[in-house]
Amino acid sequence: MRKALTISAVGHAVLILWGLVTFVVKPLEANTTESLPIDVISDSEFTQITAGMKTAKKVETPKPLVEKIGEQKPVEELTKIEKKPAIQTASAEPMPIPEPKKPEPKPEKAKAEPEKQAEPEKAKPAEAPPPDPALEAMKKAEEQKKVEDQKKVEDQKRKAEEQKKKAEEKKKAEEQKRKEEAQRNAFDPGKIAALLDKQSPRREAATGDTINQTASLGLASGRSATLTQSEIDALRAQIQACWNPPAGAVDGRELIVRVRLQLRQDGSLSVDPAVMNRGGHPQFQIAAEAALRAVRRCQPYRLPIAKYDVWKDVEVTFDPRDMFRG
Amino acid sequence: MPEAAGVSADLSIFALFWQAHWVVKIVMTGLLACSVWVWAIAIEKFLLLQRTRTAMNRFEQAFWSGQSLEELYRSLSSRPNHSMAALFVAAMREWKRSFEGSTRSFAGLQMRIEKVMDVTISREVERLERRLLVLATVGSASPFVGLFGTVWGIMNSFQSIAASKNTSLAVVAPGIAEALFATAIGLVAAIPATIFYNKFSSEVNKQASRLEGFADEFSAILSRQIDERA
Repeated sequence: MRKALTISAVGHAVLILWGLVTFVVKPLEANTTESLPIDVISDSEFTQITAGMKTAKKVETPKPLVEKIGEQKPVEELTKIEKKPAIQTASAEPMPIPEPKKPEPKPEKAKAEPEKQAEPEKAKPAEAPPPDPALEAMKKAEEQKKVEDQKKVEDQKRKAEEQKKKAEEKKKAEEQKRKEEAQRNAFDPGKIAALLDKQSPRREAATGDTINQTASLGLASGRSATLTQSEIDALRAQIQACWNPPAGAVDGRELIVRVRLQLRQDGSLSVDPAVMNRGGHPQFQIAAEAALRAVRRCQPYRLPIAKYDVWKDVEVTFDPRDMFRG
Repeated sequence: MPEAAGVSADLSIFALFWQAHWVVKIVMTGLLACSVWVWAIAIEKFLLLQRTRTAMNRFEQAFWSGQSLEELYRSLSSRPNHSMAALFVAAMREWKRSFEGSTRSFAGLQMRIEKVMDVTISREVERLERRLLVLATVGSASPFVGLFGTVWGIMNSFQSIAASKNTSLAVVAPGIAEALFATAIGLVAAIPATIFYNKFSSEVNKQASRLEGFADEFSAILSRQIDERA
């Protein structure tokens, strides 16, 4: 038995030695590769991609590729608001607004006025103080604006009437068309060729505010900044904490209120929130008020400061069904 | 990230053993010892069975050659070195004792001779079968032992993955390779053990039946002798 045992042990030792000599695997040199996340994206997301080319010139702000000027958000309306609150600077604290200085009598005027002052001084208090040119200019501007506004209102009324007429005419024309089409739509197998789509393959042009045909160097993330779903949810949660949805609005699809928020960097509202949609529901006005109250009450909002450009102007949807769904 | 440049892992056999967890190391050394033991038993059994077979052949040739049984007994009685000779010697000794003693006792001789031969056969088979059970045990258990080592090693390497928070193949691979090494050793021990067990147990069965056949023939011869002398 001892002999067999030694033979076996020696055999194993030889095998292991042979393995040590021949079974030298090359050390595994695995470079850690960047992970390649795969995402399903929509058209709009695709057009917002700002992943750039390495050869492109460095631009201050990377622009998405744009081939067509697309629709722009109606920003002009807001610029028309006359009662603008204090203009905010980038600093978090509102800068003290310089109060309109009372125009001091300028030395030139002082020279011109002595003629008047030469007249008896008693008359002076009775007379109105000499009209200031700057104030007058402002008043004039205001008057002009008022006149313009009136004109605009009139124009709008006129336009509205014209549109109504046009709409009626259109309706009639459309009805006629529909009748004709109904006759035409009867299936005719002989005309299948006409039904085929003969358009050449095409793609949707990327739209933006300015045409930009050169790829930019791109951002690190490869995406233009957008609020992530969780950030949007965070904002919604902050607002919902203050929101008392109108009672009995369980079935209110028509009570969905979209509110536009414009925020400062510290998360407070820079402009009074505006309701962006109309609803036919009798309680819509109440719902809208409730939404506005919630928005006003819950400021300031805590959002990532790095994406201020994105959330300085956001729309939030108040859906009472969400609220009741819990 | 300094380690992101490339995680190199030494996958030589020695490194595989040395980097493993101590439980896995114990499993590996145990399995290696099993393998050594299995091969030792296999070599020993192989030599023993070979020797027994040739000796049986030679004995049967001598037995049926017409040689005198007394002579054969005299030549073998000093050293009954293999099973069939031991059987023959045991039966002949019993026979001789019955005749050489002061009182001749034929009555139970036949039965006594058969008993003696049965005992000798069972002793010889036991000698041939010794340690074969070790082969069977190693053959069936060592894959599980190796698997245990693997599971332990993989658990360990997953813990290290969780600790390093990096799931790239370079981090996962060495640990799993180490762990699988335990299963490999288990299989290396188990496969020969199973094969040898099957081969040797069938061989032992064959030799046992050959012994029994010889015992029957020999007892028939002796019983004829007893009847003639009585």
